[in-house]
Amino acid sequence: MKNRVVLVGGFHKTRSLAKSLLKKGYVVTVINENEDNCRILAEIEKLKVFVGDGTKPFVLEDASVNEADIAIALTDRDDDNLVICQLCKKKFHVKKTVSIVSDETKIPFFYRMGVDSVFCAVNAIANFIEQHALLNEMATMVPIGESRIQIAQVLIADSAAAAGKKMNELKLPKEVIIACILRGDKSRIPGGDTVVLPGDTLVLIATAKHEVAAIKALTGL
Amino acid sequence: MDGNPYKQEEKYTIIIGCGRLGANLANTLSDNGESVLIVDKREEAFRKLSPSYGGLTMTGDGTDVSVLNEAEIDKASAVISVTNRDNTNIFVSLIAREYFNVPHVIARLYDWERECVYQEFGIDTICPAVLSFKEIDKLLSGEGEERGRP
Repeated sequence: MKNRVVLVGGFHKTRSLAKSLLKKGYVVTVINENEDNCRILAEIEKLKVFVGDGTKPFVLEDASVNEADIAIALTDRDDDNLVICQLCKKKFHVKKTVSIVSDETKIPFFYRMGVDSVFCAVNAIANFIEQHALLNEMATMVPIGESRIQIAQVLIADSAAAAGKKMNELKLPKEVIIACILRGDKSRIPGGDTVVLPGDTLVLIATAKHEVAAIKALTGL
Repeated sequence: MDGNPYKQEEKYTIIIGCGRLGANLANTLSDNGESVLIVDKREEAFRKLSPSYGGLTMTGDGTDVSVLNEAEIDKASAVISVTNRDNTNIFVSLIAREYFNVPHVIARLYDWERECVYQEFGIDTICPAVLSFKEIDKLLSGEGEERGRP
């Protein structure tokens, strides 16, 4: 039997999550208070949409939440999200409940109240942006071949994941090679047992889209 | 009031939501000499408090853990959540009860259908519709009889 997922509240996140879950073969239902949002959501093929306040038991009942395997609360309000998860679990016996929270200090409390998975969306996005902002400081990238290839220069800090490791111990994507190590005023072409030292600058050649993963693997960010 | 200042010292009530009910409650408790703190996210809401109100006020979101910490919720003998949103009141009550172990937690709820969310946690709830219904029923059936306590 196909897994049934109910998404309660939210709009942009709900929309992309619904699309992605449908593509993976889940049966997806969305509950949203706002009629205009529902109209836009209803344009997604095979998506069931219910208009209503998902914190009210009768709305959840109309949407057959009792048949769902997973309920995900995506409203902007933490209090609403908790009530949604609690209702789904206790009244409709949904096996797994998932919630986003806007304030990360509430995460332990949500777990304690029996919510199965809790994510702080705001925090996740802030971390993501920070990582990418920092990445730019740590690495200089030069696109070549109509941007299909990136040459990147990465400084290895003391705390970097690659510091002190041998070349063949580094877990890098296949699409990436370390072309050169700059150490002091010398440069060398590394072999498998060359050790990366803090303060080294590595020059990588990567096919497009793999450079970020490689830089992350090296720096440990 | 039968003033036993020592006994009253121990009581510390936090009220979340300074609407008509919250403000009146705060005024009454404060007049009785109890320590009271009332929280509302809008500062204008505190205008409803009487000029003689002797308790504290705090502007902030009552569902915010840092606001509750600042209000020293761990020292509260009672938390009464009377905002105009049921879900907020449920949230505050659960966090007060389960996270901060407040001995006495009371929530005002307009809609009693969400009972399964909070019933197992020992939270006292008051529902205006149910109270009104009982009172009206009493008025209808109890005509001529003596009107006792609610």
